[in-house]
Amino acid sequence: MPSVKLHPRPSIPANKATATAPSNPAHNPLPTLLQTPSGLALLELQGTINVPSGNEDEDIEEASGKIDPAAAFETPIGKLMFPDYSTLNPDDTKWMKRAYLYVGRYQRMTGEVKKLPRPIAILQKHPSEGEELEVVDIVRYKIFFKNRPEPVNNV
Amino acid sequence: MSTQDSRSILFTNTLPQQGFRLLELTPELEKLLTAEDAPTLELKSPSAALAKAVIDPSAQDYVNLCTATSTYRIRQVQSSNSIHVLRPSHGEISQADIKVVEDVETSLDLPNEAVTTIAKCSSTLELHVPPGGFSAIPFLEKSLRLYDRRDDDVSMDESGPLGAQEMRQVREQMCLDIPVSTAQCEQGWVDLCAFVDGGEEVAGWRPSARARLHVWKSLVEGAVLQGIDLEKQFLVGDLWKSVFDDEQDAPFPRALLDAVVRRICVEDERPALADEMKWASFDKTECTRWVGETWLAANAPSVSSAVGKSEFMRAWKDCLPESWREDVALSKLTDGCYKSPDPTTIYYVVESQREDTPKAAATGAAAAKAKNTRNWHELLKARR
Repeated sequence: MPSVKLHPRPSIPANKATATAPSNPAHNPLPTLLQTPSGLALLELQGTINVPSGNEDEDIEEASGKIDPAAAFETPIGKLMFPDYSTLNPDDTKWMKRAYLYVGRYQRMTGEVKKLPRPIAILQKHPSEGEELEVVDIVRYKIFFKNRPEPVNNV
Repeated sequence: MSTQDSRSILFTNTLPQQGFRLLELTPELEKLLTAEDAPTLELKSPSAALAKAVIDPSAQDYVNLCTATSTYRIRQVQSSNSIHVLRPSHGEISQADIKVVEDVETSLDLPNEAVTTIAKCSSTLELHVPPGGFSAIPFLEKSLRLYDRRDDDVSMDESGPLGAQEMRQVREQMCLDIPVSTAQCEQGWVDLCAFVDGGEEVAGWRPSARARLHVWKSLVEGAVLQGIDLEKQFLVGDLWKSVFDDEQDAPFPRALLDAVVRRICVEDERPALADEMKWASFDKTECTRWVGETWLAANAPSVSSAVGKSEFMRAWKDCLPESWREDVALSKLTDGCYKSPDPTTIYYVVESQREDTPKAAATGAAAAKAKNTRNWHELLKARR
């Protein structure tokens, strides 16, 4: 194909996509600043998180596009915390300076929430149009952990 | 501990993961994509044949992102960090698993207080515009056939002129393979005086400098005979009739006349490429420059065929309507479009070899063997 279309909007609007989810679709636990219409957010960290995979050869299902939510399962990794964030005062951005990511119970990474120098469009394959792509959402912030994990006591 | 009071959000990993690409947006693209009526964009790469013919020294395989009017080169930038795409959890977590990260007694409000990573990206796509921007001309030059006929050749237009729709299809089909935006394709098409003709078979043509000069000379002659003032609005149909003189057959296809008129007419009055050239008027200065450069390109295209400056000035004047002749001066030509091997001679320098443009083509020999895949997913995958 000489030219591939990039659609500016997701073919399935965000609220519809999550409506099929078994839980409360509207609830996004992240600070308001990090919330997007689709619910997607970016988290960057140094290194990788190793997760045991359920199926060795099909870890990353990149080609299949949309995934049946019923077949998906979640493995807990840890906890995300914004210690200075208060829902009472969402306009104050000082909380962005500190974020924690616990991996397991005894390791913690310290990071921050950063405004991206340039917004990032999250693209995915168009669910029905083969080669075509669509912009799922545009994100403007990322949760960024640039430091190595440190050992901590259980909280 | 100070963190005791703050909310904890359970962080999980979802399997299977999804495929996403992260594209860094320029301010213009952000504006475009967030607009109410955001347009569909295109990812374009040249056809295999064109990629071989028009070598880009900066990249072997590439994909360009095109809006209606602009082109950006996509560059995949690897990161040693991992970038996770998160979304609110759907809650498919077993309580037993949660014990790994949380004491059983401190209960989280599940699944409302959970996010999950659904994709990990190790690269982002960045957009670049090289200095000098993108042009369709090198691609069009390879895609269009060269039209270089003279009067005595058979007319190409035997089957009658093609419909506007048909011409448009040929042009659009060609532009699909050219990895720049539609507006830039059309600009290149106009600059080259490209046209579609159905004489032998329906095809796109680009007239040689000689053919363009011939059209110009015929139309000036015709205009003088018929009393058409080229600086005022005239009907292109009248101009077409005027070039016939006594002959029955048209000296060249009507589409070629339209293409030349479109190229040199006053820019503000130029209709969209899909629309018919009905009325036109010429701008003396722009026209004079174009004629001078076209003459030079036709008669002195290289250093070995350089002509005397005075010969060039005389011929240039001869090509113009009488009232325009006092405007002729070397300073009217585009900077860098000519060179003088010695003080008395002059020759034409094609655009791609002018000094301000980076030395393209020549350096890219190594890239010639570049394998070209047009599946952009594969293309990007191969570079991981």
